[in-house]
Amino acid sequence: MNPHLFTGFIGLSVAMLSIGAVGVLVRRNPLVVFMSIELMLNAANLALVTYGRFTHTMDGQVFALVVIAVAASEVVVGLALITGVFRRGRRLDLDDLSELRE
Amino acid sequence: MTQLIHSAALGAALPWYPLHFVPASDLVEFLPELVVAAGMVAVLILDLFTAPGPRTRLAWVSGVTVTVAFGVAVGEWVGHVNGHAVFNGAFAADRFGLFSDFLILLVALAVIWLSPAYLQRRGLDSGEYYVLLLGAVVGMLVLSGATNLIVVFLGIELLSIPLYVLCALNRDDPLGQEAAIKYLLLGGFASAFLVYGMALVYGETGSTDLARIHQVVLHGALAGTTDPMLLAGVALIGVGLSFKVSVAPFHWWTPDVYQGAPVLVTTFMSVATKVAAFAAFLRIFSVTLGSTQADWTVAIALVAIASMVLGNVVALAQRSLKRMLAYSGIAQAGYVLIGVALGQPDGTAASLYYLAAYAAMNTGAFGVLTALSGRGEDCDDYAGLVGLARRQPLLAGLMSLFLLSLAGFPMTAGFFGKFFLFSAAIHDGQIPLAVWGVLTSAVSLFYYLRVILAMFSAVGGPDQAVNVAGMTVDGAAVARAQVVLARPTLGARTVLTLFAAATLVLGVFPAVVFGLIQGIHVVAG
Repeated sequence: MNPHLFTGFIGLSVAMLSIGAVGVLVRRNPLVVFMSIELMLNAANLALVTYGRFTHTMDGQVFALVVIAVAASEVVVGLALITGVFRRGRRLDLDDLSELRE
Repeated sequence: MTQLIHSAALGAALPWYPLHFVPASDLVEFLPELVVAAGMVAVLILDLFTAPGPRTRLAWVSGVTVTVAFGVAVGEWVGHVNGHAVFNGAFAADRFGLFSDFLILLVALAVIWLSPAYLQRRGLDSGEYYVLLLGAVVGMLVLSGATNLIVVFLGIELLSIPLYVLCALNRDDPLGQEAAIKYLLLGGFASAFLVYGMALVYGETGSTDLARIHQVVLHGALAGTTDPMLLAGVALIGVGLSFKVSVAPFHWWTPDVYQGAPVLVTTFMSVATKVAAFAAFLRIFSVTLGSTQADWTVAIALVAIASMVLGNVVALAQRSLKRMLAYSGIAQAGYVLIGVALGQPDGTAASLYYLAAYAAMNTGAFGVLTALSGRGEDCDDYAGLVGLARRQPLLAGLMSLFLLSLAGFPMTAGFFGKFFLFSAAIHDGQIPLAVWGVLTSAVSLFYYLRVILAMFSAVGGPDQAVNVAGMTVDGAAVARAQVVLARPTLGARTVLTLFAAATLVLGVFPAVVFGLIQGIHVVAG
């Protein structure tokens, strides 16, 4: 693989990871936070397939497929929980979830 | 090669065997996981054919499933003095993984035993509960034997996703829902870092197989060098696993989730999850990356000290029993982490012993709260325990034993757990770890003894406040708790007595269990 291309893909994946992490930390809408987590997982997927190409091994592509499947099942559970919690006309705001504290 | 010949022979013996890419002998090594998975599907189907009403039948099926899996695991333990890898190195058939499996299955069995009475009192009796519980058990068993980064990730998610749902088991309880959302979002966040760390490690070593990674780090191009990308990957994997075992500073979710979830679910996840995640932690750090120990041991030791200090100090201020035990769990995880920082072989054995002790005493302590939790609410307040020694002498005695063991009193499991860890630390020249461990244990005595004091203090009238070691408990709350809280069932008393017996055996005859794990063989290294 062209080393410039390799650096570019890894740089893109690091950028996606950082954007996702900042999104989780600063956004207060649970759906947007969830999307940011997905972005981070996809950053990992990009890194996995890039490294797979770079090292000429299949592990990375298999791993990426597993991550996609797991992320999908996490979304199913996550969206169900979010609708369950916010169904009673509550604002979609994580700061409203603050009943659990000492 | 021997394995291939072996499987060819089996294939000839079983002409109907359909999976020619997986030797049948490998599936046999995977039998405990398969048994629990089959039980999970059976419960799911049986639930459809069960008339509305109590789900006790499903509890029986789940209990039998877990018991059978335990029996199979014991059989495999006898057969494996030296472990070996199966499924092309993706999974370990070794005593290290099986020992973790024993603890996970025993805790699951105790929780299933406590389930029907608790769920019926709280109005949460449902088939999904048993399905999700068994699903989480499968994930834990997979994680404790995983020897490939992909399987480690799969195991972690397989145990986490059912637990997210179990936290929200009570759909009418806003606290449970809040706990589930917090666990889900923070868990997903930690998983993302974990996968990214695995990607970096894979990129630097060219394999996701732990045995291959071990070889590359030990003998390959990376031997003897400090590779920044590899270190970053290892650090991110450490963050992801630290989140699962809830050690400071990755513990923020723990008190909220433990408090919000039904106490029965908390019992299960506070113990079984930590055992499985620590098994992966020990395997990846102490064994696979053992040759790079100098690069990460200081970081792990600092995390261990931070957890011991933070967990024990913050627990002092808690008015909620579940939160207090959550912070105590953070501190206990810090103790186990000492063993990870020390590495093979002393640290691993000491950590495993502490996990066994933790499984006995922490399941017991949360189990007592479960047995007392009554209609409509969990026993989460000191008011519920005031005067318990008069009303329920057996339960008060058992709770005292579990708490003294958590504090590390002699003659209890916790004492030898801490003794093995601290003496291993001194033996390896890590004196600060032992000193911090002893100091923070002394602090922990205060909040454990406060609970015991509450149980043995006298109940006044409804307008008389009870003072328990600097904490005032409202008299009206005490009077109300006595009406709301349940009388423990015979089953609950039996299972708690058995766990108390285990706590005593681990504290009086440590050689019984330590003999099993001393020099235990760990595959992938």
